[in-house]
Amino acid sequence: MPLIDLPAFAPDLLADFERLKTLRVDTPVIQPAEPFLDMAGEDLRRRIFMTASETGESLCLRPEFTIPVCLRHIETATGTPQRYAYLGEVFRQRRDGSNEFYQAGIEDLGDPDTAAADARAIGDAMLVATNRLPGRRLKVTLGDQSVFEAVIAACGLPAGWQKRLIHAFGDQKQLQRLLAELADPKSSGVFGPEVERLAGMGILDDDERLVAEIAGIMEATGYSTNASRSPGDIARRLKEKMALATTQLDPAALAVMREFLALDLPLADAPDALRQFATGSGLKIGDALALFDARVAALAKSGADVDVIRYRAAFGRPLDYYTGLVFEIELEGTPAVLAGGGRFDRLLTLLGAREHIPAVGFSLWLDRIERAIAAAGGAK
Amino acid sequence: MTITLALPSKGRMKEDASAIFERAGMKIVAVGSDRSYRGRVESWDVEVAFLSASEISREVGSGAVDFGVTGEDLVREGLADADGRVEFAARLGFGHADVVVAVPEIWYDVDTMADLGDVAADFRARHGRRLAIATKYWRLTQQFFSGSHGIQLYRIVESLGATEGAPASGSADIIVDITSTGSTLRANHLKILSDGVILRSEACLVRARKPAHADDPTVDRIIAAVRGAL
Repeated sequence: MPLIDLPAFAPDLLADFERLKTLRVDTPVIQPAEPFLDMAGEDLRRRIFMTASETGESLCLRPEFTIPVCLRHIETATGTPQRYAYLGEVFRQRRDGSNEFYQAGIEDLGDPDTAAADARAIGDAMLVATNRLPGRRLKVTLGDQSVFEAVIAACGLPAGWQKRLIHAFGDQKQLQRLLAELADPKSSGVFGPEVERLAGMGILDDDERLVAEIAGIMEATGYSTNASRSPGDIARRLKEKMALATTQLDPAALAVMREFLALDLPLADAPDALRQFATGSGLKIGDALALFDARVAALAKSGADVDVIRYRAAFGRPLDYYTGLVFEIELEGTPAVLAGGGRFDRLLTLLGAREHIPAVGFSLWLDRIERAIAAAGGAK
Repeated sequence: MTITLALPSKGRMKEDASAIFERAGMKIVAVGSDRSYRGRVESWDVEVAFLSASEISREVGSGAVDFGVTGEDLVREGLADADGRVEFAARLGFGHADVVVAVPEIWYDVDTMADLGDVAADFRARHGRRLAIATKYWRLTQQFFSGSHGIQLYRIVESLGATEGAPASGSADIIVDITSTGSTLRANHLKILSDGVILRSEACLVRARKPAHADDPTVDRIIAAVRGAL
């Protein structure tokens, strides 16, 4: 690689990746922009560097590696399981820090034993971070999307509310806003005059007539040929929304949710605490907890230093392809996140893979690790 | 120091702006012919540049001119951190237009941004792609959807004209656009969400935040004169 500004520890890091039996891959720096915007949302647009080809295709400078590595995996039709490692430059518009910096990481695709793969991702990330910063104590935060989803489902909220909350997981502000709204049922639904007209016609409870009425109006207004949402879609969600508006929310369920989101404790104590929470609240979340316990057990078995890991129930990422584990590694006493990772079982199918491919991975911020090394006096 | 003022180069905006400055005791005269794009304010040390409305927002934003008259929507769309870079010194009472989120009328189940968030959340699962928004207001849309309403999963489809037709033609699902009377929206069977007004825009006197303005009495005189004329 013709790169002269690589962090000094890059060769050692790559040697670690090799010892971890990963396959080193590289991806082009210039990537199609669509998959990134599609997966992460439009907000990403102002944080990446975009350009266009002469034919008008939107391109961007690689803002991260997970999506390119997964796309490459799909394109080359490589079999699974497969563990990829990467090290290279990524480009993002940042308020502070350089706009181009190095990331490295591992993407573990297709291992059906999710507990073991999760534990390996956390363990590997901690290992390579510790090898760069020997003698320093890491601080790892772990969250779990699937436990949150199980709690929400078990609380007996209407389906629409479940979706809203799950979608907001990891976005503290939005989640608090939704919980406040849940606590105050009078703000749950605005209906337009057309809905009153439908009620007057007495067809709100008659699915067939409701769909026919909507289809008729769409036809008459020229909306039927190209519409994304069909009359059936609109009718179905209208009924869902009416159910939301008329549901009296149980204050006890809200208290249970808040109790759950407040959980923040050493990972080793989390299985017991979650079980107590489940018993105390009467929620049936056994399946999700079994997976959680299996992961904790696999971590303990792997020899990773579980003592530095905390479980925080509210910790997540507000992206719809994360499905289970999420974690972050910091250096104790500093706020900089050195590594982040998680499970994204939905990403590969969203990117076009024909079959379901479970996946977990992490990525290291090499510039932050470099700064941490420098701050510690240049120790390797 | 000579102060530079950028004014709209044509149409109603030009006439309305000139009228206000005249009432403010700042009569604008063209330099050379009537069709010249340069002017000055009679007996003030103020030069006038006639530019297109979107150029004005850019020039004020970069500090290339000291003052400009242009729509708030263009300033907030064109500049990152608009309030840090410019001051909205006076709202001029013309050029009213709201930037709004509008969806097909037939979406009986969608009347609020929260409804839209619900629809966007599983749009991909149901329709194989993200909810598409036609707009020329990228920045305002992103701030409103992502910042104020926690909605991440949508795609913007650039639309530079006839945006209201996009949902019926299938090139987008909903739109973010300006409207003054709402009649074009109604004609295209679109409705504004009850909490879907992103910005109530009008023409504004906008000042570039420049350190040199602090001890320039002309700057305060201009602002006071324009405010007095409203």
